[in-house]
Amino acid sequence: MRIFIAGAGEVGTHLAKMLCNAKHDVILMDEDEEKLKQIDSHFDLMTIVGTISSIEDLKEANVKSCDLFIAVPPYQDMSILSCILAKKLGATTTVARVNNHEYLLPENKEFFRQLGIDELIYPEQLGASETVASLKQVGTRQMVEFSGSKLVLFAIKVRDNALIVDKTMAEISAMYETQQYNIVAINRHGETIIPRGSEVVLHNDLIYVLTTKSAVDQVLLDAGKTQFEIKNVMILGGSRIGKKVAQQLEGNYNIKLIEIDKEKSAKLADELERTLVINGDGRNLELLRDEGIHKMDAFVAVTANSEVNILACQLAKKMGIKKTVAEVENMDYIDLAENIGIGTLINKKLIAASHIYRYTVRAHVSNVKCLISTDAEVLELIAQPGSKITKDQLKELKLPKDVYIGGIIRSDSAILATGLTRIQPQDKVVLFVLPSGISKIEKMFN
Amino acid sequence: MLNYRFILLVLGLLLVVEGVFMLLSGFVALLYGEYDLPYHLTSAGICIVPGMIIAAILKDAPKNIGKREGYLVVSMVWIVFSLFGLLPFWLSNAIPSFTDAFFETMSGFTTTGSSILNDIEALPHGILFWRSLIQWLGGMGIIVLSLAILPFLGVGGMQMFVAEVPGIVPDKLHPRITETAKRLYSIYVAYTLMETVLLWVGGMSFFDAICHSFTTMATGGYSTKQASVAYFSSPFLQYVIILFMFIAGTNFTLSYSALHGKMKKVIQDEEFRNYFWITIGVSIIIGSVLYFSGDVATVEKAWRDSLFQVVSLITTTGYATADYLVWLPFLSVIVLLLMFLGGSAGSTGGGIKVVRIVLLMKNSYYELKRLIHPNAIIPVRYNSRAVAPNIVNNVLAFIVIYMLIIGVSMVIMSMMGLELDTSLGAVATSIGNIGPGFGEVGPAANFYYIPTLGKWFLAFLMLVGRLELFTVILLFSSYFWKG
Repeated sequence: MRIFIAGAGEVGTHLAKMLCNAKHDVILMDEDEEKLKQIDSHFDLMTIVGTISSIEDLKEANVKSCDLFIAVPPYQDMSILSCILAKKLGATTTVARVNNHEYLLPENKEFFRQLGIDELIYPEQLGASETVASLKQVGTRQMVEFSGSKLVLFAIKVRDNALIVDKTMAEISAMYETQQYNIVAINRHGETIIPRGSEVVLHNDLIYVLTTKSAVDQVLLDAGKTQFEIKNVMILGGSRIGKKVAQQLEGNYNIKLIEIDKEKSAKLADELERTLVINGDGRNLELLRDEGIHKMDAFVAVTANSEVNILACQLAKKMGIKKTVAEVENMDYIDLAENIGIGTLINKKLIAASHIYRYTVRAHVSNVKCLISTDAEVLELIAQPGSKITKDQLKELKLPKDVYIGGIIRSDSAILATGLTRIQPQDKVVLFVLPSGISKIEKMFN
Repeated sequence: MLNYRFILLVLGLLLVVEGVFMLLSGFVALLYGEYDLPYHLTSAGICIVPGMIIAAILKDAPKNIGKREGYLVVSMVWIVFSLFGLLPFWLSNAIPSFTDAFFETMSGFTTTGSSILNDIEALPHGILFWRSLIQWLGGMGIIVLSLAILPFLGVGGMQMFVAEVPGIVPDKLHPRITETAKRLYSIYVAYTLMETVLLWVGGMSFFDAICHSFTTMATGGYSTKQASVAYFSSPFLQYVIILFMFIAGTNFTLSYSALHGKMKKVIQDEEFRNYFWITIGVSIIIGSVLYFSGDVATVEKAWRDSLFQVVSLITTTGYATADYLVWLPFLSVIVLLLMFLGGSAGSTGGGIKVVRIVLLMKNSYYELKRLIHPNAIIPVRYNSRAVAPNIVNNVLAFIVIYMLIIGVSMVIMSMMGLELDTSLGAVATSIGNIGPGFGEVGPAANFYYIPTLGKWFLAFLMLVGRLELFTVILLFSSYFWKG
């Protein structure tokens, strides 16, 4: 697929790298030659120096032959304008990055479609939602819901106290008469393993578990996670994500938000009625103590600086806070942060990438999620009538090694997949796949 | 630590590719039923068998390579290709001396076209075909070919592509490097076929037509005749060759634009305009002097001789239809200067390249302006865009190193007892990948009498020139090997 990315900022560059590794033809355009140079010498893609809102530059770059046009410049007006131009010049699908949530309202969808923008993404909003979701489900690193949460995927760190530690997959499934959950992947020392029956769960593994809504408690119990209720939340950094999190939570939780910039604090205090906004440096332990950090149930660090976020969460952990969330924008720190035990990691780039990813998969996709701490994806695909995947029971089909079919949603009921499961046409299939398996799985579903 | 396993894997695979092409020349030998058939087959075996073994052992080598591996693998590939490529010449006793065979092969792959052969027509067709084929392979580049046909090189391919096709700014025809390589080769093959047909229609034998197309499009200059293209006196044939030499010396990216109907882009390209007008201007000067001095009888012949030599030298092909050494000294000097020019960037030609000369000239001219307006910001403009200062620096460094190498090499060659004009000619023609030189290595003579050591040294210069200096020179710098 030919993909045009306008804007080589953080999100643009990350998308370019990811799509390039997924064997797409990627064209990256930006005004700043320096930004392009770095990526050009390391990745097999085409970079063009040009203005993304210039008709001539877009024509010159042959935008009409693009299947997907993604505009992720720093400003939303630029993004919207370049999408409109690209669509008029012949790009098939356009995606614009915005930072105004009213554009995302359902009633405005048709309006933007008429303008020539097929999809809008708002990474900060998505990041905030993800943060909020993680606070509502303690004990997990990441949670993804499928088809109105009929199936749920958890990322859980397994410790010594878990029931399932040192057991093989076969032993774990033998614990129950009917399948309660499927362990679809294990991340061990930064490497992703698709487990087979003889694979053992070890201490410190990050496991990805797919389960139905009713078995959620069972999963957390088996993983040795105790439940506790979150009431007090401290947010570090009044960034867009921080503000959105506070907005979404302030009705039901006690929120304290610490922001270093005085003017910004004043503005936040104005906008966030029920949040206590504190002007100060979050790295100052005295300040944190004064604000009663030890009484907090959760700590969310979302400043613009990844290092600060990681260290502040480390500090909060030390002070006895059980749930910590850090925004880590530097991709190289993700493994590190994961290993030193920062609870949930939020990354705008990965979130934006998840949303765009679905357009690049050549199968009928209803949901995609890129997972943090692994390069694998969870897809929700719709099995087409007559496709290879519907031909036989799963154990009889020769499934590629890099794919794990976790569960199925068949007319409103969720089924966890086993070897005996047979997929029927129009089933929504939730599967876990490594990048190397995507093209194989596309073929099986079409 | 360099990824040596990957480097070896690439070398192994490419040896197999080279062996397959040897089988092709073996097929020609079979068609003509000449004695050289077993030598082609043996050579192919010597390439394919070890190549396959190496590739089989190392097939799981990690494919992530950096800039260093890129430069190293490209230099190695060219040396290994020449070492194995000399086998048909050497085994068949067409060229009995190992040194001579290596010189001839390196001169072939780098599209230089300097020869040590004294009686080309006596060689069997298979050998002549191989001699032309290596130029054709070297013309567009061995790595570019391998990227086009071995897609697995994908990721590491980028680094290798940059090392083999340096240029000023990389031109990609497609987001993927393998697709770019395929497009470049398709244009290359298409031009070669077109020329073959035209030459054949014009009266050449089919065999000669193919061989000459190979060496024209590669701007190589090996001919199947001892007298070079002068053997074919037909003006039509000479004009066809002029046209295709000129095309081969043009940036292939422009050919791609032209084929996509963007003629405006071609005409507006600054390098192309300079290349075109230098060719025409110098040809008119030389042609008029040839005619008015009475050396050549008719206007058409004077124009054709002049144009042919000018295009042949500026594109670094090195065919000859006239001996420029017998021209007036004024013309010989112009010819010497042409040798430094080279074709366009992104062409199959060698030399300094027109774009670098243009940037050098502009920068030097603006330097005067900068003296008067010390605080003015005066960027060098190229294709009506300001060129980044680091690119200008790169061009200046290139030209300084180029001249330095020529100077030092002339000293080395003269130590072996060569005259001034022969040393200068041999060195300039080798590093510029042209073919004929001056003095005892002029268009009518050849390199047979150069001392053994001199042949190895000139072969090295050819490689340095073909990979545009930096790729090879870098390997001799301590920065490359230090952590």
